[in-house]
Amino acid sequence: MRDVSRDPAALELELLRVQRGRLADRMRPPWWYLPGTVIVWALFFAGPFTSRSFSSPTSVSTWAIVVPILAVCCLLQWGMTRATGMKAGPRPLRILQDGLFYYRPGRPAAIASAVVSVAGLGTEISLIRHGLLWAAIVVAALAVAAEVTGQQALLRAIRQDLRGGGGAA
Amino acid sequence: MTARPDPLIHPITRLSICGLLAAGADWLEFAALRDVAGISDSVLSKQSRVLEDAGYVEVRKGAVGRRPRTWFRLTAEGRHALEGHLAWLAQLEEEFSASTRDVRQARSLPGDRDQSRPVLPPLRGSS
Repeated sequence: MRDVSRDPAALELELLRVQRGRLADRMRPPWWYLPGTVIVWALFFAGPFTSRSFSSPTSVSTWAIVVPILAVCCLLQWGMTRATGMKAGPRPLRILQDGLFYYRPGRPAAIASAVVSVAGLGTEISLIRHGLLWAAIVVAALAVAAEVTGQQALLRAIRQDLRGGGGAA
Repeated sequence: MTARPDPLIHPITRLSICGLLAAGADWLEFAALRDVAGISDSVLSKQSRVLEDAGYVEVRKGAVGRRPRTWFRLTAEGRHALEGHLAWLAQLEEEFSASTRDVRQARSLPGDRDQSRPVLPPLRGSS
């Protein structure tokens, strides 16, 4: 850390950096957040195994997957807000500032998450249609692991963004 | 971005409040802001009211059960003012560093010119 003891402007900026660091540290998710995220993504990648792709008598409606996903997402968001004291809505991947585009730190993780979602679902559907059920289950498990890792990276990016001031100097 | 001081944000507590609200979260809860800024309830209430009256901060009050909850958010006007003020502070810091460098160079001996010099702590600023 620089010696800012004699420069008032530097002292104020340094104090702000320290406080932003504290704010970023508050954004650490509670213990239940990771299992909750696993449940959400597991439900999401269980989608292709529902009635639309699987014509067995035990198959379930798509709504039986969508409703729990939304419910768990809302519960996670509510719990996270209560635990951290911060509400963070949907984040744009880039923001326009002073005529220049500023890319948020979570951009690669968000793009990777979207790609894994589409590729994972597509592969699962294709494997199920070809009767390769076990391969589809393995793909789903790998996709869940990738999405959870991506989610962790996104949270790290949010903390980095908070530490950096969210683009405000 | 025009670097200019904002008299409303200039006090350190208000600078902290605005700087933290601009950091990236949409809304910050009273207790979280108080803890992170390291100020008391009464100071946060008073300073946030000043910022709210100036249109820099939006305040939303609610309740979870019987417990009241207050949420803060920086407005676009507040963000603009903060960015200008932070740019001004950064400019001051830069000017201060430059003046410190000049003083250091003026004090250096001719024989020292080729030697690597340790970084001195900054001197008191002229501002």
